[in-house]
Amino acid sequence: MSLRGRFRAGSGATVAGMESTLEAPSHPKSSESPIVKATGLERIYGEGQAEVRALDGVDVTFDKGRFTSIMGPSGSGKSTLMHILAGLDKPTAGTVEIDGQEITGLDDGDLTELRRDKLGFVFQFFNLLPVLTAEENILLPLSIAKKKPDQEWVDQVIDRVGLSDRRSHRPSELSGGQQQRVAVARALVTKPAVLFADEPTGNLDSKASDDVLKLLRGAVDEVGQTVIMVTHEPDAAAHGDRLIALRDGKLVHDAPPVSADNVIELLKTLA
Amino acid sequence: MFSLTFKNLWARKWRSLMTAVAVIFGIALVAGTYVLTDTTNQAFDQIFNESLAGTDVVVTAKSEVDQQDGSTPSFASGVLKEVRQVDGVEQAAGAIFSTGAILDDEGESTGGGFSPQFISSTGPEIFEAVDYPEGGRPTKPGEATLDEAAADRAGIEIGDTIQLVGIGRAEPFRLVGLTRLGGSSFGGSSISQVLLPVAQKLTGKEGQFDQISIAADSGVSPEELRDRVSEVVPAGLRVETAQENADRNASEIRDSLSFLTIALFAFAAIALFVGSFVIFNVFSITVAQRTREFGMLRTIGASRRQILRSVLIESFLIGLIGSLIGILVGYGLAAGLSQILKAVGAELPANSLVVLPRTIIVSLLIGVGVTMISSVIPAIRSTRVPPIAALSEYIVVGGKNRVVVRTVIAVLLGTIGLFLIASTLISGTDGGSGAASIGGGAICVLLAISIFAPKLVKPAASVIGAPIEKIGGLTGRLARENSQRNPGRTAITAAALMIGLALIAFVTIFASGLSSSVNKVVDDSLPGEITLQGPGGFQPFSPLAVQEVRQVEGVEAASGVRYAAVKADGETTQISSVDPSNITRVFTVTWKEGSNDDLLGLTGREIVIGDSLSDKIGVGVGDTVELTSQTGQKFNFDVTGVMETDSIQLAGQGIITQQAMEQDFKVDEDAVGLVKLDSGVDLATTQTAIEDALDKPFPTVEVLNQGELKESQKQQINGLLAMIYVLLALAIVVSLVGIVVTLILSIYERTRELGMLRAVGMSRRQVKRMVRYEAVITAVIGAVSGLIVGVVFAFVIGIPLSGDGFALSYPVGTLLVILVLTALAGVIAAIYPARKAAKLDVLEAVSYE
Repeated sequence: MSLRGRFRAGSGATVAGMESTLEAPSHPKSSESPIVKATGLERIYGEGQAEVRALDGVDVTFDKGRFTSIMGPSGSGKSTLMHILAGLDKPTAGTVEIDGQEITGLDDGDLTELRRDKLGFVFQFFNLLPVLTAEENILLPLSIAKKKPDQEWVDQVIDRVGLSDRRSHRPSELSGGQQQRVAVARALVTKPAVLFADEPTGNLDSKASDDVLKLLRGAVDEVGQTVIMVTHEPDAAAHGDRLIALRDGKLVHDAPPVSADNVIELLKTLA
Repeated sequence: MFSLTFKNLWARKWRSLMTAVAVIFGIALVAGTYVLTDTTNQAFDQIFNESLAGTDVVVTAKSEVDQQDGSTPSFASGVLKEVRQVDGVEQAAGAIFSTGAILDDEGESTGGGFSPQFISSTGPEIFEAVDYPEGGRPTKPGEATLDEAAADRAGIEIGDTIQLVGIGRAEPFRLVGLTRLGGSSFGGSSISQVLLPVAQKLTGKEGQFDQISIAADSGVSPEELRDRVSEVVPAGLRVETAQENADRNASEIRDSLSFLTIALFAFAAIALFVGSFVIFNVFSITVAQRTREFGMLRTIGASRRQILRSVLIESFLIGLIGSLIGILVGYGLAAGLSQILKAVGAELPANSLVVLPRTIIVSLLIGVGVTMISSVIPAIRSTRVPPIAALSEYIVVGGKNRVVVRTVIAVLLGTIGLFLIASTLISGTDGGSGAASIGGGAICVLLAISIFAPKLVKPAASVIGAPIEKIGGLTGRLARENSQRNPGRTAITAAALMIGLALIAFVTIFASGLSSSVNKVVDDSLPGEITLQGPGGFQPFSPLAVQEVRQVEGVEAASGVRYAAVKADGETTQISSVDPSNITRVFTVTWKEGSNDDLLGLTGREIVIGDSLSDKIGVGVGDTVELTSQTGQKFNFDVTGVMETDSIQLAGQGIITQQAMEQDFKVDEDAVGLVKLDSGVDLATTQTAIEDALDKPFPTVEVLNQGELKESQKQQINGLLAMIYVLLALAIVVSLVGIVVTLILSIYERTRELGMLRAVGMSRRQVKRMVRYEAVITAVIGAVSGLIVGVVFAFVIGIPLSGDGFALSYPVGTLLVILVLTALAGVIAAIYPARKAAKLDVLEAVSYE
């Protein structure tokens, strides 16, 4: 499949809108020690002839309060990188530190604790529990960890994602965009050290995508949330402060995005 | 299409195998029952054939009325003389073959439990059927043989002393030979041979034979000789060729064992019925999960018929695999069942296990049939998947919820079921057809409940889930929500369990009712403190025992009770006899008409009859009733009183004098002895004195006080109950497998959801707990509904029985224990699915499509 085919280029209007967002100089500068630090990551699948180097020596750090987009063609290793950064997959070699904690050697119990305390996730397919209401879904990580919700913060989050009047609705009664906003709220509610978003707009129309991306952007700008997002949509990637791109398991680009068109151009060169 | 079906099956082989478990158990029971009964029947055929080696024609007495112990009457030995005169008779000899007891020199029984022991006579060499692996035939009155297997079991050797008990006191014999009957096994039974006159004396059959064996001159066929002999023997005797005799004996045994076959088949049917729920559920779920796949097949041109066929072929293959495994398991089960029977003291004879082609064919037909029928509805549902389903992410199939149709079917089935049960109970049909219509009725009612069940699952899960939510918090909440998500799925899973538990509750209540009814009868009708009973609680013993007891100090009165099956005005019934002078002191009769004086004054041809017999044949005080004995003789008895009969029927449906019983009905042994002690004597001391008095001469007689009597009755009931539990456990296991499969399928379906839960911080432990809770909720729904249904069934069926003094009692404690055990079983069923859910790789789960 050609690279171009994989990209659903947004309409011109959306891209234009995006640029206006980007023009706002709203990047909180933080040069403290990085919140995520990956060193010498390698991930090899299979053996011998069938060996695939999904990651081939990646060093990368992510600063606190920044919104980073990870891109790359299919098979570039971008998803693998995110999975390893989030502790969902283990590297063949190399280490990952989150908030000062080395995670590559953790067992399942410690990883569970890590996810409860420091990580938030937003997935492509929303992944809400259909049996719970929107609010219950949002509070789910706290209930699982048996933590008392900070009601003021919860209200603020729900308000921020614009679902104040949908609290008691079940996912089946919500649109795709609303469901994904619930998922974002769920990820924000624990004030995670890092929020990982895996193709969060992959299943949304452009309006809903825009809403979700603005939410993430807002979280970064207003409360200093750290966001790491894997996407293959240039429009989405353009919302970030920083764009890193991978090809064949190697980091090949690391710079702030300029515009969606700019990103498309960049990807063409990668292909 | 076919290879695709096969590949599908292979790809899901574990799940398919677990689905097959739904039929494996039922089919194992079907095949196992066939193997067991065929093996037993073949063993009996062999015994009867081999024991008639050298015999051409057999003379026995006909039995007009079948006795409960299966014994046949003996006949006067004088006829032997006539038989010997018949042209073509080379040799003829009388023989004794009676039940008795074989003890070692310590007075310990050599056999056990319910397996009968026989005393038989030796005859002329020509009729000798046995080999003597050690020693030889008895030649003197004080000598006896014993079959090799029994001697091995009891550790008795040639030269040891054994004791034989017939009608009188135990008598010592020197063991001179061990016998072996061809390749036959006697199972738990044993047999001892003594000289003919000794056997006659031991069994109280002096001047009598149980059988005459005849050898024909060469050139005379058995059939011809039979006809000739028939002409000289009196009516009442039966003349058969050896083959006919063996066949008849074998078929009588077969009939008497048929209850076992029917009972085992009933349990097989239960297991298969439960299994059909599991199969239905698995196919419903997999069809729903494969919606996209079916849609895709339709888009590339598969017809509805092809889809239907592929699902049905899948179920055919699962049924076939299940049945084949079931047959193999059944083969093992047959061995297991005979071990169970052996453990309860009813060892059946068996050589090598017999597998007839019929066993395999019937098992395959039933197994494949049940599987395919259970999957028809899901298969039809699969054909309704539109091609568009291939493209959409989420699709609900068969959106129309035919509430009206469901309700109508459920109500119709329920009504038919209740009608079947009610009409059977009211008309009092018993035996096979009665059981079949009650069973059919129960199936209809259970199906009706199952169709309604999805409606009940939501409220039931909310109630049952409430405490779990309290304990488990979020995991409890999610478990409860999950169980309510597909109410139909949970309902069918729980319904499968409900069936088994309903039956368990039902038999538990009934057994407890039976136990308490027995206690009530003992309390109400036995004023005596001590009861005597024969080996195993049912074999008769010498009347001399009661006489001996009367001599013991502290005994006020003692009476033996004997029983005979007779026809009273053509109606087969059981009557008892007592020693009238003592009876009112040891036996309390509740009178409908008459008084204790009528019993005390009972003479020769007078009878006190039971009220239900009185009602049935329309005979009351002052009327005459005609009683037909086992040998076909008819006697007229005057009715002097009518008593109320209880469900245990200690007195049968009539009481006559001991003399009448002995003279008219030839019953000369006591079945029960009732003993009343002087007031004020110490029970324990007197009981010991009685035991001491009986120990030497009558070692087989058990001396029980009332507490021990109740206990021994209770143990018998509980023994039977245990066996029923074991057989019902098969159905329960099937329904638990249902829980396992349903959970696994649901987890598979919720992979992404589970992954998300793990991603947002749910620990493995929490995932496991959630799955466990869900299993417990399902199990408890099944258990509670099963217990309710069981209680209601027991109540309804108990109504007509209450007239016979049968009182239901509800063992609440036991039922609660069953409930708790079922919840625990739910936890066990969840072990594997929970582990599977907890092991789900978060990464795979979230990237899973």
